Amino acid sequence: MINHIRHNKEEWIDKATQKYQHNSSLDTVIKGGAINRSMEEVIQTEHLTKYYGKVRGIEDFTLTVNKGEIFGFLGPNGSGKTTTIRLCLGLISKTSGDITIFGLDSHKDSVQIRKRVGYVPGDFGLISNIKVKNYLNYLLSLSNCKSDDRMKELAARLDLDLNRKTHELSRGNRQKVGVIQAFMADQDLIILDEPTTGLDPLMQQEFYKILRKEKEKGKTMFMSSHILAEAEAVCDRVAIIKEGRLKIVEEIASLQKKTGKVLDVEFRSPVDVEEFRLPGVSEIKVDNNRLLLTINENLDSVIKAVANHKILNMNLKTYSLEELFLRYYKDTGRGEDNVR
Amino acid sequence: MFGKVILMEFRSGWKGFSIFAFLILLLSVGMPQFYPPYRDSLITELEGAQNVSINVPEDGDITLSWEPVERASYIVLEDTRSSMVTAEPIYMGNETVITFPKDFEDRFYAVMAVLDDDQVLIGIATTGKAKDPLEDYMNSPIYAGFTGGRKLSMLEAKGFLTMEFFGFWWILAGLFIAYMSVSAITGDFEGKRMDLIFSTPISRGRYVLEKFTTMSVVSLVVILVAAVGLIGGIASIELSSEFDSNTVFTALIGGLPLFMVIAAFGILTAVIFQKTKAGIGVTFAFVIGGFFLYTFGSYSESLEWMKSLSIMNYWDYCSVIFDGVFKMGDFIGLFIASFVLIGLAILIFKKKDIPT
Repeated sequence: MINHIRHNKEEWIDKATQKYQHNSSLDTVIKGGAINRSMEEVIQTEHLTKYYGKVRGIEDFTLTVNKGEIFGFLGPNGSGKTTTIRLCLGLISKTSGDITIFGLDSHKDSVQIRKRVGYVPGDFGLISNIKVKNYLNYLLSLSNCKSDDRMKELAARLDLDLNRKTHELSRGNRQKVGVIQAFMADQDLIILDEPTTGLDPLMQQEFYKILRKEKEKGKTMFMSSHILAEAEAVCDRVAIIKEGRLKIVEEIASLQKKTGKVLDVEFRSPVDVEEFRLPGVSEIKVDNNRLLLTINENLDSVIKAVANHKILNMNLKTYSLEELFLRYYKDTGRGEDNVR
Repeated sequence: MFGKVILMEFRSGWKGFSIFAFLILLLSVGMPQFYPPYRDSLITELEGAQNVSINVPEDGDITLSWEPVERASYIVLEDTRSSMVTAEPIYMGNETVITFPKDFEDRFYAVMAVLDDDQVLIGIATTGKAKDPLEDYMNSPIYAGFTGGRKLSMLEAKGFLTMEFFGFWWILAGLFIAYMSVSAITGDFEGKRMDLIFSTPISRGRYVLEKFTTMSVVSLVVILVAAVGLIGGIASIELSSEFDSNTVFTALIGGLPLFMVIAAFGILTAVIFQKTKAGIGVTFAFVIGGFFLYTFGSYSESLEWMKSLSIMNYWDYCSVIFDGVFKMGDFIGLFIASFVLIGLAILIFKKKDIPT
């Protein structure tokens, strides 16, 4: 039965994906980018391509990140997220195309750009055997930032003891150092490569609060992640990449609306499907006492209809983004580990 | 502001620097202490050389004779080189006079007394023109890397310290500088620290220059420690009149740009290979290769061109020690070479991707 439901779920996801693609093709997104150019563009790439020798990093990437938004960059390991981020910072050079940050060339004007950028690398090390505060002060001094007030404030928020030695830190605490150093110089653009890796759920929530507060201050954030719930929780827009190519750029709210929620209910006894053909319900599947509904809107009415029956188990998921994501990868599996 | 990376290098690496500086201090203070006993033993050996006499007639056999030693038998070794490294025994027995046919080539003979299980050198003689076979032994080309190609007298403090300190210390300090300069960069690559450093507005050029400046300062400190130690060590055996502090200091400070070249070469290999093992391997080869090139170049005139390929050729401490001449051209040339190498390192680093 479970296999049957899973099969049905995949069918719905395919349909949702097709529907999404029909409504929002990449061309539309790019055109949308052009329309939005009246907004202040912080990151802009045009047909950006990076090859490591013969190995593809990213290919033909055209993307715009606007001032004041939290932009999520989604893809599995090896899809090209880190490559894009490191191109932004001039850590690696492009093979072709263009990439500008604040209107400046990411490689030639890298130093100027980095005066306004904070960055949490996906994988980083610290100088060992010195105090955390000394290491952070060192990075602050390289950023020509004289005040360490922000550093102390962030350390307090993330519950990090600045007097600890760097080599004594756990994975999670090391990640906190990464987060603090990215935000402590009060930069205009923060680039985050899977920033919550290693953070416990409590700290993740605190981190999201920091992101939202920075957004309120007008800061721009470009965040890669493979945690889709995270992107849904904090991002304004997301891009999904597959095999180094950009597949979707869309606002989270719009994406959620298009892909909907899935309600999975198990009743004590069989129910009549017709009861649930309500406005906003796009798909209904029944398997004995189990009901799967795809809901795009009018959630209140659906829940009330479900509540008319004896419920054994119920689960409402906003996991459509993940399912959409999986849809893009299920054709090729994860066979792109050779890509950084 | 320039200097932040330098300060951090010292802050994180001060233990390593301090330990090495202490070792250099021990070496430089300690080495002169070995001179008086060595000189005394050498005088004894030279006296021993007088105990062997050789007669090389125009025609006829060579006669080699020596003072008898009670209850001893004797071994005579022969070699075409004063180093005696390929010597072969030509006589074993109880006689104190032996004759053998003359050869047209110069030969060296070492006479050993065998007493119970011990072998004692009675003396050395040669059919050649060397006035003092032991002096000739020390001045063999195979030691040119240590003697700077000079004919040294080990009976003088200058000769002893040139051979035993100056000849070794630059290799020791050079390898340390090589290791530190390579790992100063590759440590950031392999320790995954590059991303954080270059998320700040520091240019790659400034980063490399600050690392190079750190290594130059370390080189200067190591030289100053060696100078203080050596001057103190010489003073402690009351030989400052023979080997004055100015000469010691000038000879040592002349090595500063040599170490800067090694540091720049290390940084260059580090940015090219981005791996500690590869960078250190190549830089060590550069230092040790310099020693061997100089030595091979001293073997014969036809091989002298090899010396010009060695960095050692451009720090002539012997010229300062024995002639009182400081070769400013070489000194400046090495400085320029270090800046050229570091410029090349910056150019390459700017073009290369920083790996994850």
